[in-house]
Amino acid sequence: MQLVQSLKTPIRSLKTAQITWQKALIWFLLILLTIFTLTPILYMFTASAMPAKDIMKMPYRWVPKGFEYENFVKAIKGNDGSFIFLRNILNSLIVAVTCAVTTVLLSAITGYGLAKFRFKGRNLLFMMIMATMMIPFEAIMIPLYMVVTKLGIQNSYTGLILPFLVNAFGIFMMRQYLVTFPTEFLDAARVDGMSEPGIFTKIVFPNCKPAIATLAILAFRAQWDNLLWPLLVAQSENMKTVPLYIVKFTTEMNTDEGAMMAVAAIASIPMFVLFFSLSNYFISGTAVFSSRKG
Amino acid sequence: MRQKTKTKSIEKHLSHWGITFVLPSIVFFSLFNFYPILNALYTSFFKKKVLSLAAPEFVGLKNYIYLLTSANFWNSIRATAVFTIGTFLPLLLASLIFAVFITSIKRGNKFYQMAFYSPAVLSSVVSAAIWLLIFDPRGLGNQWVNNLLGTHGTDHNWLADAMMVQLSTMIVYFWKYIGYFIIIFIAGLASIPKSLYEAARIDGTSGWQEFWRITLPLLKPTIVLVSIMSMLQCLKTFGIQYLFTQSGAPQDPINVITMNIYNTGIRDHRIGRASAMSIILFIIMLVFTWIQFKSSKSDEVEY
Repeated sequence: MQLVQSLKTPIRSLKTAQITWQKALIWFLLILLTIFTLTPILYMFTASAMPAKDIMKMPYRWVPKGFEYENFVKAIKGNDGSFIFLRNILNSLIVAVTCAVTTVLLSAITGYGLAKFRFKGRNLLFMMIMATMMIPFEAIMIPLYMVVTKLGIQNSYTGLILPFLVNAFGIFMMRQYLVTFPTEFLDAARVDGMSEPGIFTKIVFPNCKPAIATLAILAFRAQWDNLLWPLLVAQSENMKTVPLYIVKFTTEMNTDEGAMMAVAAIASIPMFVLFFSLSNYFISGTAVFSSRKG
Repeated sequence: MRQKTKTKSIEKHLSHWGITFVLPSIVFFSLFNFYPILNALYTSFFKKKVLSLAAPEFVGLKNYIYLLTSANFWNSIRATAVFTIGTFLPLLLASLIFAVFITSIKRGNKFYQMAFYSPAVLSSVVSAAIWLLIFDPRGLGNQWVNNLLGTHGTDHNWLADAMMVQLSTMIVYFWKYIGYFIIIFIAGLASIPKSLYEAARIDGTSGWQEFWRITLPLLKPTIVLVSIMSMLQCLKTFGIQYLFTQSGAPQDPINVITMNIYNTGIRDHRIGRASAMSIILFIIMLVFTWIQFKSSKSDEVEY
């Protein structure tokens, strides 16, 4: 018995040594990736508070000496002093908020119709909607641009918003969410004489809050980040959105690095605020994809 | 009998409402998805310029023949393929490995998820702007690499050299999307029942074996999903390449298809040719989606 015991001990300690070694490696790699993902963001925020001559100094000072508020003044004023950035931020907000609202409403009502009603051709329509996921926006932007030009709504909010009123992913998500919604509630409301639109607005919609929040964030982000479509449609300076302003500002000759990072920081702050207050919805919005095949 | 007609009429009433609820979206998709793609197909057989008043001239397959024999278009295919392969493979491997790491540790999972995901919060234009400074000759990129390799004072031409500018776009993309795919993998890993690992541990399986024998096979649907999703995403890349070339990087090495469509259609007003490119991009993506559909069908796992 004693012998067995003494034989076992060295083996066990060898195993624990191996495990701690593995653990150390995992922690090391995790920290390495954290440094890789976070330093550029830290760089953006610190550089936005530094005068340009300090940003390009080697080695880089990670703690700014003071706060170079001049960068933010330049960023907002623009190189031509027109303050157009403020207007562009407003445009981005209008477009992103409108798209988020319409996406949520249309996805919820369509998802509800597909999940809780039986009618001829329902599955066909669902398949049709899902098929649009396979049409990349990049492949239809030119014909869409022609449509928008023909309608005379280029260079307008309508033109910026119209192609993004709703998307197949949103409908899919709401449908999946509502399939499990208890039908008895709906039937009870019908017995009570509630109208169908009333059932949707008073019972179904208020009960989808987590899905709605996830979807609203996804739709808001997609438009806040959208570069390609505004590049086609927004021609005048006062219809441009934030990404277009960043492109214009960074490629102008006399832009200095500090102001460039200040613009980037201003453009990112709304998303970071959303991210830190609602990170769960960001993450669930991403994770929905992993159950996409259903 | 009366009862029966009554239920029937209720059913009919309900089905009308169902159609009413679905209809707005169907109208939307017909106008803004199906019509444009059919229109792109139609236009791709014509020689059409935006500003010209002359009626578009039917040219049959000439646009496609032109593209398939044009060095510029093949360069775009090459640039897109290099970018896609060079980005999605490292992304797939790294996100899988790090997702396994994060699920294996007991403390700090949430912190790492947030830290890795935060670049995805930034827009692609902001990301490109930050990295534009990092890749500046005097920027952090040179400082870090020179410290690591001991090559003091060398300029690695991140944005000037044809090879390096391709690598630079890949680094930015990898940085931006790594957290995104890590989270998808974490969700996939969470769906594997814990009991399987417990059973394996009782049988005396090592961590390595667990990974190869349990995690990997059961994660196959997620792996397929992530690889197709990241591939499709890479095929559509635009923002980073656009901002880099606008700030003076050479265009040819990173002239991806999307940028070529934009330049051909919007800058040069060649709508027919740009439509033909769009259709080719659509077909390429369709093939990948079809592969995903096929492989996820055959890989259904029951626990």
